[in-house]
Amino acid sequence: MFVLFWFLGDASWPYWQHFGISSVWAAEWYPYESLYGLLPAIIGTTWAMMIAMMIAVPCGLAAAIVSSEILPVIWQGWMRVGMELLAGIPSVVYGLIGLWVLLPWLQNTFDLLTGHSLLAAGMILSLMILPTIMVMSQDALRMIPTEQREAAMSMGMNWNQRLMRVLLPQAWPGIRSGILLGLGRALGETMAVMLVVGSLDRVPQPIYNILEPAQTLTSRIGREMGEAVFGSMHFSALMACGLVLAVTAICLSLLAQRKLSVVL
Amino acid sequence: MKVFLSLLALPALLLPLACFLYVIIQALPALNWELIVGSDTTGNLFGDAPNAGHGLWSQISGSLLMMALACLLAAPIALSIALFHALWASARQQRLLMMLLQALQGIPPIVYGLCGLIVLVHLLHWGICLAAGGVILAVVILPLLSSNAIHALQRIPVEQTESAKALGLTSAGIIGRVWLPAAWPGMLTGLLLAMARALSETAPVLFTATVFSGVTWPDSIFSPVTSLQTHIFYLAQEGSNQHAVDVAWASATILLGLVVCFSLSARFLRRYEESV
Repeated sequence: MFVLFWFLGDASWPYWQHFGISSVWAAEWYPYESLYGLLPAIIGTTWAMMIAMMIAVPCGLAAAIVSSEILPVIWQGWMRVGMELLAGIPSVVYGLIGLWVLLPWLQNTFDLLTGHSLLAAGMILSLMILPTIMVMSQDALRMIPTEQREAAMSMGMNWNQRLMRVLLPQAWPGIRSGILLGLGRALGETMAVMLVVGSLDRVPQPIYNILEPAQTLTSRIGREMGEAVFGSMHFSALMACGLVLAVTAICLSLLAQRKLSVVL
Repeated sequence: MKVFLSLLALPALLLPLACFLYVIIQALPALNWELIVGSDTTGNLFGDAPNAGHGLWSQISGSLLMMALACLLAAPIALSIALFHALWASARQQRLLMMLLQALQGIPPIVYGLCGLIVLVHLLHWGICLAAGGVILAVVILPLLSSNAIHALQRIPVEQTESAKALGLTSAGIIGRVWLPAAWPGMLTGLLLAMARALSETAPVLFTATVFSGVTWPDSIFSPVTSLQTHIFYLAQEGSNQHAVDVAWASATILLGLVVCFSLSARFLRRYEESV
């Protein structure tokens, strides 16, 4: 792992040396004019992650609650299989689905030029992280001892109260680490996003416009790695993207762990 | 509240089925036996004949080769990490090791791809080749494999280890006679899951191991290959060519089939392990 960081840091060093840390906030990325600002991609990544979270967290949580509290046991097993299969679908296939189903739909609904947009990326990502969130929350809900439920029932709490006062607070640490893991996955997902996001290096105008094509960190690396010449400034700028990505991802996964271990 | 929750949960329940059905339905026009075993590379894809003999065998074999290489490289390392964890590591080292594995698992695969590109392809002058792809995939699946192996070893009851020690077995004896016989289903499950993962990773091998066409069977491990994952990616961008799109869906179905095979057999193995 240290070796990994060393290589990344080494390869991106010319970039940091030349532009300094402030270039993270610079808004222009035009490789041919030697402008390498990371801001558009960072904003794109943030938006895609937020959209994915907004869709996937309520859905995944609700699915976990429904499958562990409402459905009979046989159905639970089937849902589990379904979710594991969903988690196993390669990301390229998601990209293909997004490209051929989601984009035409968005194009018609919002009357866009093409469907390529941050919204599409967010929706595909939400589909991809749904299994992670759901499986983790389901495990957390299942770990709650039966005595707790029985005690709540004997106190005369109805179903809603049981859910809100007993089950969710107890399962919360597990759910939270599931969400953080999902966030990490959304951050690092490349292929699906690359196919639907449109790869336009610009800060959305205005900044909350999510129907425009945009760029994320991963899709930029994926798109331009083939073009960049080894050793050039462009190459090391892409390495800098990778470094930012890796640092964020490690922070997220450590955060997910920390929360879990405090509770256990 | 119950109704509201069920409504929210509905997409999560229906989507897996919908995705699978959609992919398979889309693939039906192009999917036949000829496509799987035929190894005629992409020469005919952009030609006139719509159903010319275009086969995916080279892509399939490329994917499988890369996966096999990755597993061959990663499995011994993962096994030794797990044994180190179980035999010699102190509690502190164990915690540190688990944390490190988690963190490694969190790093996006494309970052591994970048590192592989610098180190293997450029610094070591391997060029774009099968070996680079195998090594990178091995690094990607290593955390998964070793944490699975560690868990498999942890599930062995302490009494067994202690009685083995009391019988005077050396640590090699404990490993060979007690641990491996008891833990192999768990380890194999982990291996199958890791194989599925290695098959489905696209981003890290896109620039390091694969080319679009022209290779049927790699001459050596230092020559480029074609793989299913990247094939889908390239074909997906040929939006106007109906035949290419059909083939993309067909490749997606084959890839899905392979991945599902591995993860389902992992599941059966896990059930077998629980029943024993």
